[in-house]
Amino acid sequence: MSSLTDRYLAATLGAVPAARREEIATELRASIEDMIDGKEAAGVSVAVAEREVLTELGDPAALAARYANRRLQLIGPAYYLVWERLLKLLLSFVPATVGIVVGLVAAVDGDASDAIGKGIGTAIEVAVHVAFWTTLTFAVIERTNTPLNLPEWSVDRLREERARGERQVGLADCVAAVALLALVIAYLPLQHFHSWVTDADGGNLPILDPALWSFWLPFLIAVLVGEAVVEILRYRAGGWTWPLVAVNAVLGAAFAVPVVWLLLTDRLFNPDFVARFEWLSRPDNLDTVATVAVVATIAVTLWGVFDSTVKACRR
Amino acid sequence: MPSDEILRTHLQELRRGTVVVASLAALRRPDYGYALLQRLTGHGFPVDANTLYPLLRRLEDQGLLTSEWNTEESRPRKFYWTSEEGETVLHQLLDDLAAVQTSMTGLIQGVDR
Repeated sequence: MSSLTDRYLAATLGAVPAARREEIATELRASIEDMIDGKEAAGVSVAVAEREVLTELGDPAALAARYANRRLQLIGPAYYLVWERLLKLLLSFVPATVGIVVGLVAAVDGDASDAIGKGIGTAIEVAVHVAFWTTLTFAVIERTNTPLNLPEWSVDRLREERARGERQVGLADCVAAVALLALVIAYLPLQHFHSWVTDADGGNLPILDPALWSFWLPFLIAVLVGEAVVEILRYRAGGWTWPLVAVNAVLGAAFAVPVVWLLLTDRLFNPDFVARFEWLSRPDNLDTVATVAVVATIAVTLWGVFDSTVKACRR
Repeated sequence: MPSDEILRTHLQELRRGTVVVASLAALRRPDYGYALLQRLTGHGFPVDANTLYPLLRRLEDQGLLTSEWNTEESRPRKFYWTSEEGETVLHQLLDDLAAVQTSMTGLIQGVDR
């Protein structure tokens, strides 16, 4: 008995259910020998015939899968769409939420400098876990043929606004978004000259540190102007396009990162303005205000990126 | 001109189901794996060995084939033949195949059913 056929049989039978192994082995061996005989009768040497026959039968693992009626796919068409939808849904908010909470806890624990890195690191870790466990669950469901009893698809599930090529953004939305940005831009110089908070002598107290006018406040104004431009381009394009999503994400980060950094290093607010209020001037309270502002900034920025990505996907 | 690849996939799709029908029909006369393979190929049903051998077992599991070992010859061979249940299924499959042929002819000639 040639060793090549033996090795082929061993490789095939290892992956076949044990109960039928012996019977399949006997039958498969006879079939292989029959095929070799057939080729030999046609004038091929035994060694060449054996190689040809085994090559014809192909990868032993694939043959074994056919004998065992096993699927050669991780997640098949029956479950793929459910898996994809669930994964997208979970990834859309779970990692970001957990990351923000962890970052927030780190910030409150006084580890403010490390909070952002910790939050982002945790979010990535959570995303990997969500993807892995969801996929594993579906791979098991695929193999056990578990019925999911999900409702059948029906026309009622079609969403009106999904019609392709339709305008996602109206003129009113665009005007509102630009107006809001203009108000924020206008407020930055306004609070410097007229904040409705006065010092002991009745003079105006800016809310933001006047020292920031040397660079950071002009920079933030430039970023906000950029965001207004993105809004106008978005209206002209009829919705979010991928380049706009990318520019929007960069601008969002360019706004959020300096603001968060200034907040965490206690450089955003005017020290005189803080000293004017007894409650605010206590370090603990100032930290709380800073933390809330940091979380709000991160949440608003992430939401902006997420929202634009989802809308770009739908186009 | 469609590529050979496209044509090959469509032919494969078209042929896939016929292997079962051909096997059930051929096994009205008992035979073992390799001999059946030869017989099917000879009658214009080229089928891969790695498809046919597992298929015979699956049809046996479904009760459409019956089998018996023959140890009288030089090597032990498992002979399969179409069971009563297999015969019933074969009849329905052949009817359907004929219906497909009729419909196709009608469609091509523009005759309504």
